[in-house]
Amino acid sequence: MSETITAMPGTTDVSAASVHQMSMQQALNRALDEVLADNPKTVIFGEDCGRLGGVFRITDGLQAKHGEDRVFDTPLAESGILGMSVGLAMAGFHPIPEVQFDGFAYPAINQIVCQIARMNYRSRGTLPMPITLRVPSFGGIRAPEHHGESLEALFAHVPGLKVVSPSNPHDAYHLLKYAATRPDPVIFMEPKSRYWQKGPVNLSSAATEVSANDDGTAPSGSLTGARVAREGRHVTLVAWGAMVSRCLQVAELAAEDGIDIEVLDLRWLKPIDAEALARSVGKTRRAVVVHEAPLTSGLGAEVAQLITQSCFATLKAPVERVTGFDVPYPSGDLEDEYIPNIDRILFGIQRVLEYRRG
Amino acid sequence: MAEISFPLPDLGEGLIEATVLDWLVEPGQQVERNQPIVELETTKSALELPSPQAGKVVRIHGAPGDTINVGEPLIVFEVPDDTAGIVGTVPKDEAPKRRVRLSAVLDED
Repeated sequence: MSETITAMPGTTDVSAASVHQMSMQQALNRALDEVLADNPKTVIFGEDCGRLGGVFRITDGLQAKHGEDRVFDTPLAESGILGMSVGLAMAGFHPIPEVQFDGFAYPAINQIVCQIARMNYRSRGTLPMPITLRVPSFGGIRAPEHHGESLEALFAHVPGLKVVSPSNPHDAYHLLKYAATRPDPVIFMEPKSRYWQKGPVNLSSAATEVSANDDGTAPSGSLTGARVAREGRHVTLVAWGAMVSRCLQVAELAAEDGIDIEVLDLRWLKPIDAEALARSVGKTRRAVVVHEAPLTSGLGAEVAQLITQSCFATLKAPVERVTGFDVPYPSGDLEDEYIPNIDRILFGIQRVLEYRRG
Repeated sequence: MAEISFPLPDLGEGLIEATVLDWLVEPGQQVERNQPIVELETTKSALELPSPQAGKVVRIHGAPGDTINVGEPLIVFEVPDDTAGIVGTVPKDEAPKRRVRLSAVLDED
């Protein structure tokens, strides 16, 4: 992606040294608060988003501060939430609807795929859909069925949608503010298992060009592309959302065995930053993609193809995929057996390390 | 810790109120989910109400003989903050555990 980010007009002025420790919950809440203040056309709604402040507290306090006309509750009907978003967008609003849990997006697939994703195309550009759909996503909280899903490949397959998933509070804050100013619909997949972990957030709009690392350092990576979360020489781990922190743990363990792992946090799942993949794997010559979604037709296949396209001649091994299994996302404690764990990721690394041609 | 208030539910067939017969728990007591917490009488029947959740009882509303309307507070629980919204639990950041070790001869060509 070559698009550059400019500071948004009217953004709350903060100093460049404005780094705060906050959870992803707090970072997202702050971003929404500022978007509401910056753009009077922004409206936020969903099940329990108003009075309660959301079941994950992401919209906490926003109704009291910005009013019931701008932050409000909806009936328990996702098709209505997203259908209303279409109408509001046609009328010039910038809706930020919430689907309370990822599994509840299915009843709204018609509105998302057949209306939101296509209206701009269908109207020859006269009816853009500046909608940011927030979807608490992925597993990791041992929830019941329909409360933990990994839908990125479904959304990424739909022309007209952009898909993004932050892995840390800093990216969550800036990516949400950025998504909310886009003229196109963005599916914003929040890794719900990472809501509570705190990290450094640089609130300065100038900090959008770089991303704070988990230790507060700021490696390369424009907000519109992937981020090198850890530099390494031997193998690239490609991940997004909640899997990034797990891959960083794996990288620490691999270092004990003398293996130097690079972790690439994709952030954008549509479009995927193919240049960042080429840069990283061009250097390491080995790659393992890690995701929670099932293996078959998962986004790992797309990532593997992009890597093969750019690095085929120099790859030392076929791209490995460490993923969930081809079963419905299991509920409760069973998710420990489903989500790629540290040992499964280490096995994937071992496979690309020991592969020999011929 | 957070407090969760449990209002008197509709006990069936559109009843609008119930009378407290006897409390089976008291403030300060730890209760389990489905443990009987109060005996109630409606115009239809007398019944024991099971606890909707585990937690420590903070307050109870209504002495024996008092009438409570459906939707009014019945009991307040104190619960740990690590319940994740309405479902699930907040994951703990644990030290990573491994069984697999890597072995590789890295040719640096």
